[in-house]
Amino acid sequence: MDIKFIFLILNGLTQAAILFVLGSGLTLAFGLMRVVNLSHGAFYMLGGYIGYSVVKATGNWPLALVAGGLSIAVAGFLFERLMLVRVRGGDLPETLLTVALAMIISDLCLVFWARTPITLNVPKYLNPPVTILGVTYPGFRYILMGISILIALSLWFILYKTKLGAAVRAGVDDRETVSALGVNIQVIYSAVFVISALLAGLAGVLGGSYLQLSPGGDTTILTYSLVVIILGGMGSLLGAVVSSLILGQIMSFGLAFAPQYSYFLIFIPMAIVLAIRPQGLFGRKI
Amino acid sequence: MNLAKKSPFYIGLIIILLVLMPLFAGKYTVTTFIRIIYFGFLSMSMGYLIGQGGLISLTQTAFFGLAGYVIGLMNIDHGIIFPWPDLTAFVVVFAIALFFGLIAMKTEKIVFMMITLAFGQIVWAFATQNTSIMHGWSGIRGIRPYVLYGVNFNDTTNFYWAALTLFLLGLFLLWRIVNSHFGLILNGIRENPRRMAALGYPVYWIKLVAFLISSMYATMGGVLACYNTGIIMPTTLQLSRSIWVLLTVILGGSTYFWGPVVGVVTAISLDVFISSATERYNMVIGILFLVIVLFSPTGILGMIDAVRKGQKLKFITKIFSTEKRKTD
Repeated sequence: MDIKFIFLILNGLTQAAILFVLGSGLTLAFGLMRVVNLSHGAFYMLGGYIGYSVVKATGNWPLALVAGGLSIAVAGFLFERLMLVRVRGGDLPETLLTVALAMIISDLCLVFWARTPITLNVPKYLNPPVTILGVTYPGFRYILMGISILIALSLWFILYKTKLGAAVRAGVDDRETVSALGVNIQVIYSAVFVISALLAGLAGVLGGSYLQLSPGGDTTILTYSLVVIILGGMGSLLGAVVSSLILGQIMSFGLAFAPQYSYFLIFIPMAIVLAIRPQGLFGRKI
Repeated sequence: MNLAKKSPFYIGLIIILLVLMPLFAGKYTVTTFIRIIYFGFLSMSMGYLIGQGGLISLTQTAFFGLAGYVIGLMNIDHGIIFPWPDLTAFVVVFAIALFFGLIAMKTEKIVFMMITLAFGQIVWAFATQNTSIMHGWSGIRGIRPYVLYGVNFNDTTNFYWAALTLFLLGLFLLWRIVNSHFGLILNGIRENPRRMAALGYPVYWIKLVAFLISSMYATMGGVLACYNTGIIMPTTLQLSRSIWVLLTVILGGSTYFWGPVVGVVTAISLDVFISSATERYNMVIGILFLVIVLFSPTGILGMIDAVRKGQKLKFITKIFSTEKRKTD
């Protein structure tokens, strides 16, 4: 195989790593709460910008990752407790609230950060050239993939091996019965929303180190994450894995061979899946 | 809703004032009113779907922008003149809306909203990245209105009168559609699609027709907008614009016929006043959006209604369908 193709596949995998972290948070929250958090893209951007400032101030990238993730988790917690909970039960008002939040956050980012696109500085020690099977590729991108796999495994563990996960999965199927059984579903809601926000913040730092962060970029990111979860099936973790792998490759190859249509191309599998199987590849009927 | 029945006198007065407005107002005011009219069309197209059908579609702005692109491409790039670009705009948008609608109508509620959002982004992506046909970021410039039958529509006042005429016709037509038999069936579907399906109504096709009607309103707005601004760019159809239009609908009151119009007038007036004072228009609009959803989900008109009926403003009232969320 041509070495160029190997590079493209690796780029696609890096892209997929970011898409998965982004999409898994959204799909988790949707599966349980039936809320599409349309401020997910804004969360990503804010997380990325916070990470950028931390790297700039301390030069410590791992710290930036933690700071970006945690600050968004806190923001998500406050938003869920103070606002979302007031309109619980009406899925449209809930979604509209997240739209309003997205507008406010993306305008806030304009106040505090540059209007020009920026990228997080990754320190040299995290980015050594790594040669595997004769192909040299930036080591940091392997780190990105590793973090993403780690996140996937921990999500799987939380969902299928812990009590919280069991309650979440039961809540997806029948939330009335779950609360009748004595589980405090409100706490579960908050927990899931916070995890979802945390993932968006982490994705922001990860993505901001590989791609660019720019004002207004939140809508593009939101669209990516929506495509991931529509294609994979809403509420399905496996779906998020598979669809981000597919989309990552499409984005990488599209950029190389059809730059005029690279963004356009990622919608093609979504449109096909919607026409044939509206609930997505691994989704169940809602 | 019954504003028109109760007070034809006021409606007539408002129309006369609107027609006479350019005679005593400055050019800036007239241009602002033209903006209100074309965004009014766009807002009506979204408001009709939300209020009458319970469908939140975020593709409307893409239809709005596509209309401009068709006119720009045919007129500027190929020199084809009125009425062909304008008619083609309606045909092209109709075809695309039909294609999108056939897919999107399989879903409902939040999923429908997400899918229409993605459709809007498809069009945006194509317009942004494609340089060979759509001219990429720079878009198409220099679209001008014509001199038709001796009337020069390059003149702001003439353009305003033409736009106003179309707007009033559009409102009247929509009023008839909303109050027709078809409109009632659509309301039934908004309240309970399953029951309507059980009664034998083709729910899927009725929603599709409503979607097509709304796309035509968005197109009308887009046609007027591109002639008025003279340029068509990807920013015309970006997501933040769709969200702004959604805001105008919710702001005015999505369940009211006049809601979208009231919302657009309010949002544009705010734009005029705020933009001169601060750059943070989006912040103000976002906070306003938040407050409306939290405290007065039926919008400005809902608030007025409540005050008129002497009710206390409820903290939270239900918007949209009253059907409770169910777990299947």
